[in-house]
Amino acid sequence: MHARLFSIGVILGAILSSAALPAERSLSVTIYANDLALIQDRRQIEVGTGRQRIEFQDVSAQIRPETVSLTAPDISIVEQNFDYDLLTPAKLMEKAVGQDITIVRVNPASGAETREQARVLATNGGVVLKIGQRIEVLRDDGLPVRVIFDKVPDNLRARPTLSVTVDSSRAGARPATLSYLTPGLGWRADYVALFNEADAKIDVQGWVTLTNSSGTSYDNAQTLLVAGSPTQAGGGMGFGAVPGGVRRPMPRPQRPTLQEAGTESGSREQLGDFYLYPIAERTSIANLQTKQVSFLDVHGVPAEHGYEFYNGWLGTADAPQSAKTVYSFSTSAHAGLGDQLPAGVLRFYLRDKRGDPQFIGESRIDHTPMGSTLALATGDAFDVKVHAVVDKRTRRGEFEWQTDMRYDLTNASPKLVVVKVLQSGLWGDSRVSAESQKSVRRSAETVEWPVTVPANGKASLTATFVTRN
Amino acid sequence: MRGRHWLWMVLAALRSLAAAADDVAADDAAAGRPSIVAGSPSDVSVTVYRAPHRNSGSIDLGQLGGFALVSETRTVRLPVGESRLRFEGVADGIEPASAIIAGLPGILEKNREGQLLSPSALIAAAVGKPVVLVRTNAKTGKAVRLSGTILSDAEGGVAFKTAQGVEGLRCSGLAESFEFTSTELSALPTLSVMVRAAQATTATVTLSYLARGFDWAADYVATLSSDGKALELGAWVTLANGNGVGFPSARAQVVAGRVNRESGAAEPIDIGGPILAQCWPRGSTSDTPEPVYLAGASPLEGGLMDVVVTARRQMMALAAAAPMQEVAQQVVQEELGDLKLYRVPDRTTVAALQSKQVRLMDRQAIPVHSVYAADITGNEGDRFFPAMRVLRTQNDAAHHLGLPLPSGSVIVFTDRGGVSLLLHESAMRDLAVDEEVEIDLGESADVQVKALKEKDSVDSTHAQMRVEVSNARAAAIQFELRLSLNQGARVVRADHEMALKNGRPIFKLNIPAGQIATLSYQVEEAFRRSAPR
Repeated sequence: MHARLFSIGVILGAILSSAALPAERSLSVTIYANDLALIQDRRQIEVGTGRQRIEFQDVSAQIRPETVSLTAPDISIVEQNFDYDLLTPAKLMEKAVGQDITIVRVNPASGAETREQARVLATNGGVVLKIGQRIEVLRDDGLPVRVIFDKVPDNLRARPTLSVTVDSSRAGARPATLSYLTPGLGWRADYVALFNEADAKIDVQGWVTLTNSSGTSYDNAQTLLVAGSPTQAGGGMGFGAVPGGVRRPMPRPQRPTLQEAGTESGSREQLGDFYLYPIAERTSIANLQTKQVSFLDVHGVPAEHGYEFYNGWLGTADAPQSAKTVYSFSTSAHAGLGDQLPAGVLRFYLRDKRGDPQFIGESRIDHTPMGSTLALATGDAFDVKVHAVVDKRTRRGEFEWQTDMRYDLTNASPKLVVVKVLQSGLWGDSRVSAESQKSVRRSAETVEWPVTVPANGKASLTATFVTRN
Repeated sequence: MRGRHWLWMVLAALRSLAAAADDVAADDAAAGRPSIVAGSPSDVSVTVYRAPHRNSGSIDLGQLGGFALVSETRTVRLPVGESRLRFEGVADGIEPASAIIAGLPGILEKNREGQLLSPSALIAAAVGKPVVLVRTNAKTGKAVRLSGTILSDAEGGVAFKTAQGVEGLRCSGLAESFEFTSTELSALPTLSVMVRAAQATTATVTLSYLARGFDWAADYVATLSSDGKALELGAWVTLANGNGVGFPSARAQVVAGRVNRESGAAEPIDIGGPILAQCWPRGSTSDTPEPVYLAGASPLEGGLMDVVVTARRQMMALAAAAPMQEVAQQVVQEELGDLKLYRVPDRTTVAALQSKQVRLMDRQAIPVHSVYAADITGNEGDRFFPAMRVLRTQNDAAHHLGLPLPSGSVIVFTDRGGVSLLLHESAMRDLAVDEEVEIDLGESADVQVKALKEKDSVDSTHAQMRVEVSNARAAAIQFELRLSLNQGARVVRADHEMALKNGRPIFKLNIPAGQIATLSYQVEEAFRRSAPR
């Protein structure tokens, strides 16, 4: 009803949004790491005096309408609406119930047209029409009949539309700022690490990868990336008009990657506890685009190549299992990457005999402070295997068990390797009563042995666990 | 399962559409930024990795879960200042975030556009813009053209406006369609980089990226000698490309060993879909027609099926004929960190939707011995079950092996009067040098096992077991009986010598031809059953 009242405003809004005054429009997009963005849209708007409605059609299709705020001089906000009654042929017919439409019968052989006025009685399952005194089902005989509607009802639109009703004390153009939160925009980091086997050093490049599935393009936007995931209360009532536009939690690494958390501070700009990564130049973020901008390029960082084998419980494996290949390096300023690493995926490459880089696996990392030590598993070692076997399990009392474990390590490679064997799953009061080499107790649940396996050789580790629970 | 393939097929089909204009062309033109298309690749290298979750077995052409590292070298001419460089014809399965571009100075940003040209994308892009509606009389073939505007394509229904009024597309029962004059969308995922050059240069650029829709496995063909004591082992590297893009005259490699992949965030992409011309409720007094699809890519599915079947048949034929074949080239193995890299020596074409086989290895006169085995839990009941037969050997030089054996499938044949007959097919995991090799030959009906609980104590702590193994073979057999006991249980006495293998009690018996072997043992449990604790 108010739509009719403010029909002048509708026309005005349509002009505003379609013309969009690109020269005077300034977009600023701040993207957080957990699929959330803050859009600030500055533009010139033409406003008359008194109450009127302004429509914004080129906002994010997934806008969270409850977060919208419009500020402009000499206007006050009466109400904000987000209309998502969409214009479809079915809606047109539904809204025409009780009203007159024009039907055009087309003779399938000759193409001759016969026009009639009809009143729509019902649209339940099929369209029932009253033509003169007759009642008919539309196209009951399957013959072609065109239906022509005079106009589109005011509140039906092609896309969900944001409208703001304002009260203006004067007429004329003025700058306005529209800001809102939207899901569908996100970013993460992607790293490329080239490991040089000869001198055990890595070159690391970091790229921020931003993705836009919000259903809208942002042209010539000033873009700021925030390495942090602000808490979002509830789901909001955003309109998920785009397929794939689901709110995603930030993925976490499969195994712990941070060996030591860093304590160094860098020179990057911060916002609260979040680090900021501004993109130097204005950029256009098209809908469904993946965009990458470089933020890190470090050469010759010392890295260590090692092996790790993790046994989750005191059990026997059917066959030998490959140890994991682990690369560790520091992010400190003096002997490492010297930067904070935003969460993302690090891909490792190694040169083959021809000198071409080949992919050898990847690992996810969390937001990592500067000065940390990272140990990233890239995959399984083909030639280094461990066979965990329960040699004997004896009951020593009502609640006491003794488990004799043996780990057979084999190395089919022509170089000596050190495998970090981790035995976890030590529930209750567990202790190592005997072992073939000294262990380090990492926690109540886990013990660790660094086991040396000679080139093309074998090694065996035995340990006896006494468990009370 | 077919979903992913469907995607490739759609993309492949879209490629054949007329070349589309750059979607960012207008933007670039406004910024005075020339758009340059990188020349076609002068050198391509494809390294195929197997599906990370598959530890053994052959590949499935219907679901290629592996991936590949594609590196291609192209020559580009860059003008002074900013320009947009486009790489066309990259694999459809490209993971854009993994793209690395070497040899190019001053990269400002890399982009991958995910909005592709499709019937629905055409409509979506035309909303609010003038189009031409064509109505064709089905009888006379006469077409009427009307100028109009698409008002909405919301929820699959299309509403348009002409001078006569507002109508719904394809609601009248007439043959209706739109004519579009231009599109700014491109048919394939296209990678572009924005560069700023200080001076005009000609650069040799290497683009590397990971792409999905590849896989490989080793397919072993073993031929067992008629006396069952020697094995001939040959293998093919079977690699497959499920992408709609081929790589002509490529350097091809495969990598053995499991590499870690993160499930990762999917890159947003809209490969488009058909126009779903939904109308108002169209129930009649006689029937209820289904919604009408104007366009779709589904007919391509049939074509894909053909590909799969042909390839399968071909693979089997190759496998069966393998021992007789003359092999001109074999892959060359080298170390790649903790992985194994196999290089195809000559350049080869990795075509779109193709599976390709290259010889991996051939070894003769591998000494093997057959072992029959059964696992006993103690709850088998009063019935016979067949023993399993395995061929056992060692992966070392003394056994004419001693090379890394990548995972895959093993088909075992045996010779019968000059004709090869299939014995069994099984899967094999990655085997390093010096590991024990076991090739499964399946169940043997001639060796039957029965495990009976003869006596049980009141509290079930002591059970007397008797195992009978009958040998109907014409020769003596090696038999292994492996026990699976409860926690803390142990064998207290047995009438045969017992050993431990992998922490489990094992009895090794030699059973002469036509004999039944009987074995008795007593088990002591750590827990009383239903005893108060």
